[in-house]
Amino acid sequence: MIRRLAAPVVGILVFLGVWELVVRLNDVRPFVLRAPSRIVAYLWEHAADYAAAAWVTAQHAFFGSVIALLVALVVGSMMAASRFAEHATQPVLTLLQVTPFVAYIGSVVLWLGSGTRPALFIVALVCMPAFTFATVDGMRSADPATRELLASVDASRWEVLWRLRLPSALPSLFTAARYNVGLALIAAYLVEGGNFANEGLGAIGKRAAALNEGDALWAAVFAMALLGTFSLIALSLVQRVVLRWHVSQRPPRPNWD
Amino acid sequence: MEVADGGTAGIATEVWPHRTPTRLAGVAACSIPEFLHSTPMSSIVVRDLTKVYGDLSVVDPLTLDIETGSFVSLIGPSGCGKTTLMRVIAGLEPASSGEVMVDGAPPATARSHKRVAMVPQQPGLLPWRTVEANARLLLDVNRRENPEAADDPVNLLREVGLGDFLHAYPHELSGGMQQRVALVRALALHAPLLVMDEPFAALDEITRAEMRVILARLVEGRAATVLFITHSIAEAVALSDRVLVSSPRPSRVVADITVDLPRPRPDDVEDDPRFVALCAQVRHALHGGRV
Ligand SMILES: Nc1ncnc2c1ncn2[C@@H]1O[C@H](COP(=O)(O)OP(=O)(O)O)[C@@H](O)[C@H]1O
Ligand SMILES: [Mg+2]
Repeated sequence: MIRRLAAPVVGILVFLGVWELVVRLNDVRPFVLRAPSRIVAYLWEHAADYAAAAWVTAQHAFFGSVIALLVALVVGSMMAASRFAEHATQPVLTLLQVTPFVAYIGSVVLWLGSGTRPALFIVALVCMPAFTFATVDGMRSADPATRELLASVDASRWEVLWRLRLPSALPSLFTAARYNVGLALIAAYLVEGGNFANEGLGAIGKRAAALNEGDALWAAVFAMALLGTFSLIALSLVQRVVLRWHVSQRPPRPNWD
Repeated sequence: MEVADGGTAGIATEVWPHRTPTRLAGVAACSIPEFLHSTPMSSIVVRDLTKVYGDLSVVDPLTLDIETGSFVSLIGPSGCGKTTLMRVIAGLEPASSGEVMVDGAPPATARSHKRVAMVPQQPGLLPWRTVEANARLLLDVNRRENPEAADDPVNLLREVGLGDFLHAYPHELSGGMQQRVALVRALALHAPLLVMDEPFAALDEITRAEMRVILARLVEGRAATVLFITHSIAEAVALSDRVLVSSPRPSRVVADITVDLPRPRPDDVEDDPRFVALCAQVRHALHGGRV
């Protein structure tokens, strides 16, 4: 466990060390690139503000993702059950995935007002496609032999969904969640910057950029990175418990790789 | 027991009175269709069944009759349509023509009342369920139809030597252990009918012999009717009261061999000269048509 934690810490320290060295040795001017030590010092000094803002951003990202997951489970179940529903829904989801959501944040804020609602809406919107595709693939991967076994005792559609299809979709849902963590945080950050509520890391970043406060801006970036790292660690822990039966969670056989 | 001839063809489906399977034993003779009079205690009745997939004829007009409480094996070359026949009997696939009655009702009815317990060729265990939870799977769905006298799967698991693995996950078990869970899962349903599709085909010779003994012990003293599909001659003869031999595709019963070895059969039944003779008889039927 300590070994597992040590490796990423070493990796990050080496990265920051090289960055620090490049800045100091080449005497790079701060408005081009700041030394990480300076950013960390600023962040430390304003820790309380940044922690409060990070908490808001984390909530936007988390609850937005949960909404996305719930919608995806419903839409994905329908798509897995009917090819027509799948073919009808797929292009819309792809459209959602490829459009730059930054472009319509303003419209959503005008529509839903400022604050939490547009943040949740956009986060849910951008996280939904990956969750939906994962649901469809996972449900389709359910073992047909077990499906037939359940049919042999006339299990209802709902029972098949609950006992077989949903659990079969869990591994791919976790893969999608891993991908969505970054997306959800970025979306939350950008919506917070694009609305008038003045809450969250996005609002700090936006104000700092407008006022040309480089330290504050970079501190927001670092805070986002920390938040992302913690989110991924939390996700791994949940995954280890929920997927303890899955191949991906078994220790590797010795000497195979 | 004769393989029924084709003389019952043409009986319309509508003449089947709808009876709930549980009342079958006490049903008065007048409510039983004409041709069933000779075999009023049959759990599985198949009359002139055919099954075609597109142009491929998988089951030829096939007729068979399996008495309640008997253990019948169906043996035939690979690809002859055994699994298809089992799926029709289990109500998972409609017949192309002919009639099938399972426990006194059409297969679909028997299926909706959980009257048929299936052991598929692959154990089909759910990887996220423990051994115990997997053994309960068939009891956990469609609960309204659960029998009142269901066996406790835990006792059955102990009986087959899995008492120490109740909380293990399927990936922690060997192939033979997984198949034992699949057996318990079917038996726990306490269904009057047990259909098994080459349940031991994927196992090695030693495990197979063990499983045969375990299966014999489990069904001994139960009222269940067993249809056991296999391609092992020794397995069929050792376990069964009757061995039906199927032709290559399309499937047709070419021989019906009664195994009159006394029960319970000793573990060394294979050394019995009568056993050897019966195996030879089955082998000849398999390779040369009618005996
Ligand atoms: N769903 C299906 N669609 C088309 N052909 C099928 C289907 N199921 C089985 N068959 C064909 O029916 C034949 C018999 O299959 P099966 O009943 O599985 O044989 P067995 O169990 O005796 O080995 C095979 O040739 C197989 O290709
Ligand atoms: Mg088969």
